[in-house]
Amino acid sequence: MEVSHEVEALKQADISSAATTSLVAKFQTGLLAALAKKTGGIELLNENEIHVELQSSDSIPEACSYLKQEFQARLAMMICSDERQLGRGFVLRYVFEAKAEARNVFIFVTSELVESRNEKEEKDGNNSDVKHIISFPSIVLQIPSAVLYEREVNDMFGLLPAGNPDTRPLVLHEQWPAEAFPLRKEFDLGTKVKRTLQREYKFTNIEGDGICEIPVGPVHAGIIEPGHFRFSIQGENILNLETRLYYTHKGIEKLAENMKLDQVLLLSERISGDESVANSLAYCQALERIGRLQVPERAVLIRTLCAEMERVYNHIGTLAGMSTDVGFAYGAARLNILKERMMSLNEQVTGSRLLFGINRIGGVGTDLSKDTARLLYISLKTILDDFNLVISHLRTKSSVIDRLRYTGIISRQVAIDLGLVGVAARCAGIDVDTRLDNPYSAYPMLKVDSHHDSPQHSTQYSVEMQKRVGDALSRFDVRVEEVNDSIRIIRDLVTRLLDDGSKSLAAPRPSSFEPYSHALGYAESHRGQTLHWVMVGSDGNSLYRYKVRTASFVNWPAIEQAVLNDIVPDFPLVNKSLDLSYSGNDL
Amino acid sequence: MMFDRFRRNRNNVVNGTDQGKAQVKGSNDILKELDQFEKLSFSSHGEILGNRVATLHGDFTDELGGTSAFRGNVSLTAQNVKAIIDNPPVLDEYQNAVDVCPTAAIKNLLGPGNKDPTSEGIFDTGKCILCGRCQDIAPNLFKIKNYPALAVKRKSELLSSLGGEPQLDGGKEVYSTLGEDLKCKIGKILGRSLAIREVDAGSCNGCEVEITALNNPIYDIERFGVHFVASPRHADVLLVTGPASRNMEIALRMTHEATPDPKIVIAVGACACSGGIFGDTYATTGGIDNVVPVDVYIPGCPPRPAALLYGLLLAVDRLKPNIRKEK
Repeated sequence: MEVSHEVEALKQADISSAATTSLVAKFQTGLLAALAKKTGGIELLNENEIHVELQSSDSIPEACSYLKQEFQARLAMMICSDERQLGRGFVLRYVFEAKAEARNVFIFVTSELVESRNEKEEKDGNNSDVKHIISFPSIVLQIPSAVLYEREVNDMFGLLPAGNPDTRPLVLHEQWPAEAFPLRKEFDLGTKVKRTLQREYKFTNIEGDGICEIPVGPVHAGIIEPGHFRFSIQGENILNLETRLYYTHKGIEKLAENMKLDQVLLLSERISGDESVANSLAYCQALERIGRLQVPERAVLIRTLCAEMERVYNHIGTLAGMSTDVGFAYGAARLNILKERMMSLNEQVTGSRLLFGINRIGGVGTDLSKDTARLLYISLKTILDDFNLVISHLRTKSSVIDRLRYTGIISRQVAIDLGLVGVAARCAGIDVDTRLDNPYSAYPMLKVDSHHDSPQHSTQYSVEMQKRVGDALSRFDVRVEEVNDSIRIIRDLVTRLLDDGSKSLAAPRPSSFEPYSHALGYAESHRGQTLHWVMVGSDGNSLYRYKVRTASFVNWPAIEQAVLNDIVPDFPLVNKSLDLSYSGNDL
Repeated sequence: MMFDRFRRNRNNVVNGTDQGKAQVKGSNDILKELDQFEKLSFSSHGEILGNRVATLHGDFTDELGGTSAFRGNVSLTAQNVKAIIDNPPVLDEYQNAVDVCPTAAIKNLLGPGNKDPTSEGIFDTGKCILCGRCQDIAPNLFKIKNYPALAVKRKSELLSSLGGEPQLDGGKEVYSTLGEDLKCKIGKILGRSLAIREVDAGSCNGCEVEITALNNPIYDIERFGVHFVASPRHADVLLVTGPASRNMEIALRMTHEATPDPKIVIAVGACACSGGIFGDTYATTGGIDNVVPVDVYIPGCPPRPAALLYGLLLAVDRLKPNIRKEK
């Protein structure tokens, strides 16, 4: 038989996409029936996006809670965009995933905020506070994880989430004036707003006998990114933790609106330096969907290979960090050697130790030479052997395992309520992985892990998942397993690349994309699902709106819950075991 | 024992304990080929848990430039500005590169305000994020070299002139000799170790990854008497990354004030030197030197550990006159 595995894989992909389409159709009818009175229309876009247009913003909470209750939908992202120039007003898009009902589908609940209330005020001759009047109904009571999105919208667009008890500033710290809204179109990128001291940030106040506060940061003791942590403690026990982030806010979303598409690609790599491949991949895939670009197979393989290399070096680095934080320097030193080996491999594959510069819109920028591919294949084998040897040493040290076990527990309910993604969710027994749920790039034809290849394994896995307690040890285990899986995937990809004789590295690029068309791009970074929603600008070669939601944004609130039964000295360990990016959160 | 491990690894490759093998057409040939390659290229496998110190031998390079694939610096091949200006096709190519550069690191020779086209310094290494787009679009003019752009003491020195990039000692310096130099200097000037406080002022965390790498057993910077400390009050040097985001501006100022004199500030990476790709916007201040005085600039996106070490070497030099002043 001369039928190659790729062809088979593609056939399977066809079958699964047909299945998806039928699911989408089923889903479409269900949704339409339930929300008939409220919707302006439902349409299917970009293969897997169901867009539900609501007639009025008043029905947002109802529609969202319907999706949550009927389809166990998870709020994946909330997007606000200022489309007043397009004659629409501010538009809110709530993106849901309903994995239980239909895999690989994103549901967009879209609502336009009409400034009707303003007009009324103007008629009454009272338009002094026009900017503060536009509001939208909050959904935090139905979906708690929406709170940060709503605070962000409040800061960046000046739209008030009515009913959200927490409207403290989030992105823009207290010294920013209350009337500067960076993501509104009239706000110029270069504006240097004057500092004010009008607003004061109120931390939750915990009072009682012997309770005191420890403020930590934004400049930390280690070589890490800035953020502020406010502990309320009694003795050594943490009673409450409140995180204050956004110290590294660089205005990435606004900046992207002022750049060309190719420049935004470089910007997306620098959203978080250590997840450059995942973020640029998500961005590229969004544009490739809009332009219907057919990425050459060789490029797909190389992209996926780099994405997995990124996962390996970061997971090893995190495990080394955890080893440091439990005071086991030997393990940290050994694992750091392996991380350095991975980074020097990164350099040989892409020319950058952090894998910068691999993705291009429509393909990749660098080919993998045969020599490098072979080197990669062999080096990874030795790295994996060494890795498993070090891990086996760590596992037999009770001083390591005792610190990890039952430390920083994330309960399953917390993980569901906060809609956690990535390792943080998997460690609590929730089976989410964008590579499996929404297969992209080369993942449809790869065996991502050994749990989802047969019904028997799936059942075994779901039983095993139930046993996970969401502590630092389970995060340790998940990462170790993922390093093993990723190295296996890379070695599989290398043999495929050596087998593949094609030369093409990028799809022909259209001179411009259709103005104001939009799409969602997604990828699984080592931290979890990263989503990039892009809307093309008027000239077809820029962006009208670029919304980025990294896994860190979703997972940061989990740390406040995870430390609650621990003592202060465990905090660095809990923090490292979750491995969150400050820059990826702050944008 | 080491050899046994090697043989075991090799046998695994050959005997196909690998997942990839069974699925791929013609994979046997490829695996055989890989095996042969492994025989030729075997260097230092499986010694991670041996008794030898796994520092700077085997898989790792001591060279400042890393491997040949590394994107370290951009060099311009034109001899002088006149050669570009007077030759319309070359000028076109050059201007294409100007258009494609994401951080405006290449000076626009035709733009307003450039009345003196013969002036040097048409390429700003402090802005360059080493994306390589200029080489893609103007391969005759721009060449990406693996030798890293070197740290400088004055911002104006970041502007590279035409005709080759500077190399230390003809490119013969390696990481470990630079480190020994640093150790000597620290001993002479401070009589103790050099204490560094790292401050992230809005970086993408790429620079942090490389600074952290300085502490791993490969680069092991503590052997040269350099120590990362937990508080600015213990520090001689502030290693600052990021474009100085507005939300970090006050914290950075306070950290600087908390550091005892004499102190040195090093701006690490393109963002810290010039704002980099994040530029000067509502949320950033466009470089560390807009917030606190900077003594040494280390370009790169991010600078590799060897380049960071060279930056520290310059910083210790700067510490010298300061200490005399104090006395």
